[in-house]
Amino acid sequence: MALIKIRELRLDIPKEAKHLAERMLKDLENSKRPYLEAVKTSLDNAEYNSKVGYLTPGDKVVRTELNVSSVQKLARVLFILEILLRNLEIGAVNTKRELYYMCKGTIKKGDSKYKALDFESQDESDSIIDFIGDMLEVYREELNCYANDRGGQTYSQQLVVTETLPDGDKANVDLSTLGTSPFQPKNRPQSLKLKAKKKIDFCLVVESEGTAGTLQSMGFTKRNNCILMGAQGVPSNGVRGWCKLIEDQLDVPMYFFGDLDAYTMQNIFRTLKAGSAASLIRNSDFSAPNVRFLGVLPTDVKKYDLECYKVKESDPAEARALKKAKDALENDPFFKDKKNKNLSDVLRWLIKEKIRCEQQSYFSVDPRDPIKTEKIILEKIRKGDYL
Amino acid sequence: MSKITKSSTAEYFAKNLQQVGFSSPLKAVLTTLKEAVDNSLDACEQHEILPDLDIEVIKVGTGSTKNTDLIKIVVEDNGPGIEVEDLAKVFGEYLASSKFGKGQCSRGQQGIGISAATTWAQMTNARGVQVISKTKNMKKAISAQVDVDIKTNTGIVKNKEMIDWKNKTNGVRVEFLMDGRIQLNGDGGLLTYIEGTALLNPHVAMRYKLADDGWKKTDRVSTVSPEIPEATLPHPHTFKLGEFITHSTLYGKTSLSKFLKTGFSRIADSSINDFIKAGMPKSLVEKPVSSLSDEEFKKVFQAVQATELMAPSTRSVLTVGEESLSKSINRLGKVDFFSVMTRKPTICDFKPVVVEVALARFIDRGDEQSPVQLLRFANRVPLQFDKSGCAITWAIESVNWKSYGLGQPKDSLPFGPYVFAVSVVSPFIKFKNASKETIDASEELVEEIRRALMQAGQKLSRHIKSEMKEADLERKLAHIEQFGPILVEKLVLLAGANDARKKKAEEGLRKILGRDSEEAVSQLEEAQSKLAAQNKKEAKKAGLPDEDVVAEENEKAAKSKKTDKKKKK
Repeated sequence: MALIKIRELRLDIPKEAKHLAERMLKDLENSKRPYLEAVKTSLDNAEYNSKVGYLTPGDKVVRTELNVSSVQKLARVLFILEILLRNLEIGAVNTKRELYYMCKGTIKKGDSKYKALDFESQDESDSIIDFIGDMLEVYREELNCYANDRGGQTYSQQLVVTETLPDGDKANVDLSTLGTSPFQPKNRPQSLKLKAKKKIDFCLVVESEGTAGTLQSMGFTKRNNCILMGAQGVPSNGVRGWCKLIEDQLDVPMYFFGDLDAYTMQNIFRTLKAGSAASLIRNSDFSAPNVRFLGVLPTDVKKYDLECYKVKESDPAEARALKKAKDALENDPFFKDKKNKNLSDVLRWLIKEKIRCEQQSYFSVDPRDPIKTEKIILEKIRKGDYL
Repeated sequence: MSKITKSSTAEYFAKNLQQVGFSSPLKAVLTTLKEAVDNSLDACEQHEILPDLDIEVIKVGTGSTKNTDLIKIVVEDNGPGIEVEDLAKVFGEYLASSKFGKGQCSRGQQGIGISAATTWAQMTNARGVQVISKTKNMKKAISAQVDVDIKTNTGIVKNKEMIDWKNKTNGVRVEFLMDGRIQLNGDGGLLTYIEGTALLNPHVAMRYKLADDGWKKTDRVSTVSPEIPEATLPHPHTFKLGEFITHSTLYGKTSLSKFLKTGFSRIADSSINDFIKAGMPKSLVEKPVSSLSDEEFKKVFQAVQATELMAPSTRSVLTVGEESLSKSINRLGKVDFFSVMTRKPTICDFKPVVVEVALARFIDRGDEQSPVQLLRFANRVPLQFDKSGCAITWAIESVNWKSYGLGQPKDSLPFGPYVFAVSVVSPFIKFKNASKETIDASEELVEEIRRALMQAGQKLSRHIKSEMKEADLERKLAHIEQFGPILVEKLVLLAGANDARKKKAEEGLRKILGRDSEEAVSQLEEAQSKLAAQNKKEAKKAGLPDEDVVAEENEKAAKSKKTDKKKKK
């Protein structure tokens, strides 16, 4: 069964793998140290250009040259690569956990010499799979390795999604006909075509799935021509790819509504808008550079007299978040970019004020009005009160 | 107003035995043993006798108090013996000591311990201590029971009789019967005490029977009785005003200048002039100290404190020495390797102090996952309780042992099958309590102990690093054997290559990895030669005759270890 491609990949993976093996073998024959190179996927190799809109890889590579210390890693890379290539050949898909067990099974049932390769925990096989992706500069989905679906439940009265299935059939999903059920984007490539039955005014991505559900229950999508989505914390690849699709195919402004704290700003909003350092090679398809930060804004705290928490520096998690925020201001090219000054100003404000304010605090403004939060959101959109 | 009564010293201690080490049945047994052994060793040393101790701690019945056993504790020595007229004082009177405030590095200091043991026996079993004593001058030995008269703080000698005591020419045997409980191992264990005593007293031979175990013995590894340094006079900067005034009362009508010069160390004629410059009224210099008012004392005291004086002499401290420690450590078990460090005597808080450290890894005790066994000593006496507040523990926890190759959770004792023995010797050790369980942690003292530990740690790390390199080499060699063939096999498969290419690739791989393992071998050799150099140096220090023999033995040991490991594989 042919799988749907996430992008037009110029690279033929099996061919590239063969080419790689050929090069390494030749080196060995000449008593030269063979090596593998992968893009360095970390913040110090991330570049940001506001015109591009997402984090892109720099020139740094991680080079693993054969020596007594790296021979294990190289053998493991080739071992897993063989499994992945077989999957591609027969069209089988797996999660990372499943691949971990497949490795263990192959070792157990295979030649006794494989025993030395055995993986003690999933982290060990995961890091090799990631390395292979970075090495070939392909997405894990292109290696038929998929993650669990998480986040991105979407509600709309106007949106119609047409999915082309692997067998060529087309499925039409009119979100207005789903009742109280949301549309769930997959954490894997889907061939989706989006259409608006009526002009859609905006797309709202809510950090908390629960709050998105509340807004929906109270009639948010009935009253507004919009797309309403719950992100469920740090956006998964599915959510990021889905937002990117909405941005590309529908010309609607997109707003993010989440907590006012360093974690949300750095880990959730930045990842949604510009991708992450760990996924440098895939940010182009997995980020929504036009998304705006609607709130909670520092100015909202005063304006709506919102309930806040003091950030306790004695709490290790909160202290770490503050430290990370300070680091981000110094090292994260996204926050260092002048274009994002208003966002980095939020981080500075958080570091200075040492408070945090949750998205649900809007419900404290008028507890007797069940749609007060919706009213505030709409007012902010109308007034352009976002970053 | 209620009537104010006065109680005797014995009454006070009888009511507060927990302050002097009798706070639980377990501690009562250990403290009694400790006090009896301390007294024996101090007496032997003062008479330059090599001590032979027979120790017996056994359960003989049920105790009178709840949850206790009746324990018999016997310590017999070959010391000088105690004269008949001194028996009551030694065993039955508090604060009767030949050592109190003398400025000597003796184990006992105040004269409380053994009388407290007598009191405990008397309180729990209605009988004091049974003593046999013989000095060389006595024709027959004397056997008697000594009790404490708590009301008057005096000893009472009962059932006195002269006996023939084997063929012994001199010595003392004490026997206590008291409520208590026996614990052998662990921090507060009797065996831990015996081992600690053996470690820091290489000249002691002991035969001991503890609980249900049979008789065991540990031979002496040194035939030199430690030379006890002359007592030293206290340094004036260690005094408080009250102590200063009390100290003066010992000098009666002596003039102030003479009192200062003879009552303290480091005060010379020139110092008196310095005191005057610092504000001591000149008129007082020749005045008898007994006639000085408190106000005048204060002026003198302030001037003395304000004047810079030479630090006290460090000649009054004694050390076990690296050589003896090295030998003694083998008495604890099968030593894998060890490192000892004797610091030069120094001054901490104006008191002479010397710190000695022995770190040893054992083959037959401890494990990698548990904290090291810590043995603390003050004036060669093991300290077995309340380690968390002790200067020694603080110092160990402040060292970064990871850099010497040991595992260590943050701010804790390091891990591994090691014994860390740290000894602090000083004529004026400051304890946190009268039961002498914890050394007060002053900054200067902690720093001094820390330095000793770090020096010993560096020596130790040479052993560990050499081992790590050895393991590293083994790991690297194993890696080549294990992963090389898989690498080639998979490359051939992915590239679709033939057998000829496979063979060529295998040869290439061997060449590359062979170069790497050669490098690892040379790193190992370098680490081993550094270690051998250290061993040579240590052997020289310990005065062993042929250094090369030692180095050769080390090499042999390293080789045989390697072959052992290979055989295991």
